[in-house]
Amino acid sequence: MSVTVIGILGVVGLLALIFARVPIALALAASGLAGYAALDGWAKALKMFGTVPFNLASAYSLSVIPLFILMGAVASRANMAKELFEACNAVFSGMRGALANATIGACALFGAICGSSIATAATFSKVAIPEMKRHGYDQAFAAGCVASAGTLDVLIPPSVLLAIYAIVAEQSLPKLYAAAFVPGFVLAALYVVVVFVVAWLRPAWVPRVPGMGLAARLRASLGMWKLGVLFFFAVFGIYLGWFSPTEAAAVAAFVAILIAFLTRQMGWHGLLEALLETAHTTAAIFFIVVGAFVFSRFIVLTQFPNEVARWAQDAGVGPFWILVAVTALYVLLGTFLDEVSTILITVPVTLPLIIGIGFDGVWFGIFVTVMCTIGLISPPTGMTVFVIQAQHPDIPVVRIYLGTLPFLVADFVLVGLLIALPQLVSWLPGVLKI
Amino acid sequence: MKGWRRAVATACGWSAGFSLAAMMLVTVADVVLRAAINKPIRGTLEIVELLLACSFFLALPATFLRDEHIVVDIVDGFAVRWVPLLRRIAGVLGVLVMAAMAWQGWIAAKDTLMFHDVTSDLALPRIWYWIPVLAGMIGSCIAAAAMVFEGKNGR
Repeated sequence: MSVTVIGILGVVGLLALIFARVPIALALAASGLAGYAALDGWAKALKMFGTVPFNLASAYSLSVIPLFILMGAVASRANMAKELFEACNAVFSGMRGALANATIGACALFGAICGSSIATAATFSKVAIPEMKRHGYDQAFAAGCVASAGTLDVLIPPSVLLAIYAIVAEQSLPKLYAAAFVPGFVLAALYVVVVFVVAWLRPAWVPRVPGMGLAARLRASLGMWKLGVLFFFAVFGIYLGWFSPTEAAAVAAFVAILIAFLTRQMGWHGLLEALLETAHTTAAIFFIVVGAFVFSRFIVLTQFPNEVARWAQDAGVGPFWILVAVTALYVLLGTFLDEVSTILITVPVTLPLIIGIGFDGVWFGIFVTVMCTIGLISPPTGMTVFVIQAQHPDIPVVRIYLGTLPFLVADFVLVGLLIALPQLVSWLPGVLKI
Repeated sequence: MKGWRRAVATACGWSAGFSLAAMMLVTVADVVLRAAINKPIRGTLEIVELLLACSFFLALPATFLRDEHIVVDIVDGFAVRWVPLLRRIAGVLGVLVMAAMAWQGWIAAKDTLMFHDVTSDLALPRIWYWIPVLAGMIGSCIAAAAMVFEGKNGR
């Protein structure tokens, strides 16, 4: 059997296991082990299988992931989401669509410190949807707005997903964070435009809410200080040369705990809960990372990515069509895979293809992350949609999906902008000289 | 969740959570001492790596016991009667994968012990790093087997 055939069988076997309800981490590990053994014998495959988890679990660069997750777990318990929502509402107050835009702004900023789309969507479905419903917003649009805005965290730094991409694609995390800034805020701006367009086309869905006075606006805006402090340590500390990414994550998590204690928003019980939640989340993510590394060892051995790149070159497939194919692949995977698994499974195969047509690993990191935001709200398994539906059973899932449609258009506009204007990604790293 | 499973999962979670807190505190102390008196903690990187191994592997058995693995459950929508069988198969595969990992990890750890491998800065014995890793692998294998035995795999 040729190496290419074994490679294809390995990928098919992986997909079969995933669809057969085998946990993704186990499916990756089992198919990677079997494939490696088919190519290089069981002795070498088993040796690799015993050492990969050890090498990964004690890799310093991975420590950034649990520390950022801890910061998010503490921020979720310290009432920061509600304060942010009120602060953003003060900014947009008086405009049509103010509450929807406040949701987008608050989700973007809270997502930056929380790092989990599911946690962001869960938090804001409790904070923002009741408020929008109370003011007569169309409930499908309100839910769609929270589901979509909840995905902004995967792009806006410090993003846990970008940290995972940096490890699997061997890219610089500070450079990825710098590269993600402009696309992240462009996407948030596009979502704001979507709200204005919907408000113009369907005014009944987005009623005007009475504006706040100047004093009330200023008071509410002060609620952003906690986020400002955390963002300063978690992101700017890296670019000021004070911290490495791991140190920034540790200091930001520590500062989040201090703020939560000093403002009496969280006690010892809350801290212990946050630690426990972080430990469980980290274990689930790391296990997928372990499985993905086993699988990628097998993929590297097959030379599958190079074969695909060579085939595309020989067949005369142009860069545009390769990008279309890669985009279609991520849209398809996003319909049933979570974003961490999507990145870990595909990047070893797709990155060489993309580099072969002239883009770099940093650009691709941002592109893949944007595709993951699409997957998070795509049927049939849009995770943020399910989270909202679980908390608002009165809104049917189909209606939430309909509510996300206008925002999906914005996502695809950003994909088009990234392809047409790669400078959106490369500009800030160039300015910062990293 | 049964009482014993909840107790073991919580104990695993606490051990991992405290390792995580220690990892954060050591890193913060290193940063503060470096900035304040130019005296960073020697070997911080090696200590963080050890604590990272603890925080991941000690929590891993809890992931099995709490059934928190990420699963694609599309099949539930159209072949619901196959789900119990698929859960059982996934559970058995989990036992086999973790058993193979633990077996090979044990062999690699024995080599580390035999050659007295140490870290470069603090000269910590490398076997210390293997202890939480093996504990997590063996614990996960037992946890996966317990879940198969109780028929609890795959939410």
